[in-house]
Amino acid sequence: MKASLLLIGLLSAGIAIAAPPAPKQQGIEGKDYKWNAQEGEKVEALHKKGDVKNGQEVYEICGACHLPSGAGRPDGTFPQLAGQHSTVLIKQMADIRAGLRDNPTMYPFAATLVDPQELADAAAYINSLCIPLEHGKYEGPDAAMQVAKGKDLYEKQCLECHGKNGEGNKEKFYPVIAGQHYKYLLRQMTEIRDGHRRNANPDMVKVIKPYSNDQLVAISAYQSSLVMPGNMCKPKAAKKK
Amino acid sequence: MKFVITLITAALVAAPAIAAPDGAKLFAEKTCNACHGAKADKPLMPNYPKLAGQNAAYAEQQMKDIKSGARNNGQTAAMKGVMHLVNDEEIKAIAEYLSKLK
Repeated sequence: MKASLLLIGLLSAGIAIAAPPAPKQQGIEGKDYKWNAQEGEKVEALHKKGDVKNGQEVYEICGACHLPSGAGRPDGTFPQLAGQHSTVLIKQMADIRAGLRDNPTMYPFAATLVDPQELADAAAYINSLCIPLEHGKYEGPDAAMQVAKGKDLYEKQCLECHGKNGEGNKEKFYPVIAGQHYKYLLRQMTEIRDGHRRNANPDMVKVIKPYSNDQLVAISAYQSSLVMPGNMCKPKAAKKK
Repeated sequence: MKFVITLITAALVAAPAIAAPDGAKLFAEKTCNACHGAKADKPLMPNYPKLAGQNAAYAEQQMKDIKSGARNNGQTAAMKGVMHLVNDEEIKAIAEYLSKLK
């Protein structure tokens, strides 16, 4: 009896996993949206100690798009993940799994993680990788101007949360943005401003709402020029001390 | 006459272009393998198609339609996110490669 119940449980779990699209949970578009509500598998995963070794195995399926290095793609299709705070990684994976952040391309992959422990493991492994030095930056004859303009804007309103070097804040779930691709930063900021990132932080939405497209371009240009001392991969030709 | 031109065009299209992009390389590079399997015969999800051995013309048209949005049913939302990674010439090369797989 127990065995047959277990079988039914397994079967229904299988059906749930094998049925995209993702569930849809009410996000920022809803009246009673609470950002980063501490509930569900996210909380469980946050409390577990991530196992880097197992995380490497879990990450194998992620690496097809995000690359084994975690570097993603400079064209912004897939973000750079290496060195990201484990809290941020767990929150985003859990949000995508719960249907709070829409990502139809990633959903089936995220859905393959079996339990909160695997979320914690994958996050621990990704966090252990160094941030690649090479990534997508703003390219154009006016790059210096854009970066300077972006620096001004960044220091006025973004630095307070995202940090001087784009290091974010692990406890507050603010992501590392140093080493991130320019095009990905621009895409996410635009989506957050326009209400398409349904798991966004309302405090950030408030800040970013008045910004023009041109201003977001400049901010992204500056952000993608940031370097986080100590977390970036060592250049291959580094001299031995 | 029109019919003849169509036939000739079809024949030309089917002929491998000189220095065409490498379909096998593209299939891995453009992340197709992530969802459809390394050899295009083991998709990630039961409702994603097996592509190995698919007719080239059909595969090409589906890729183009998903990219343009002309086709937006089924699992196209999952695929649309990566279709800007390939141009028409690359789509054709991938379709050719798929048709030759078993």
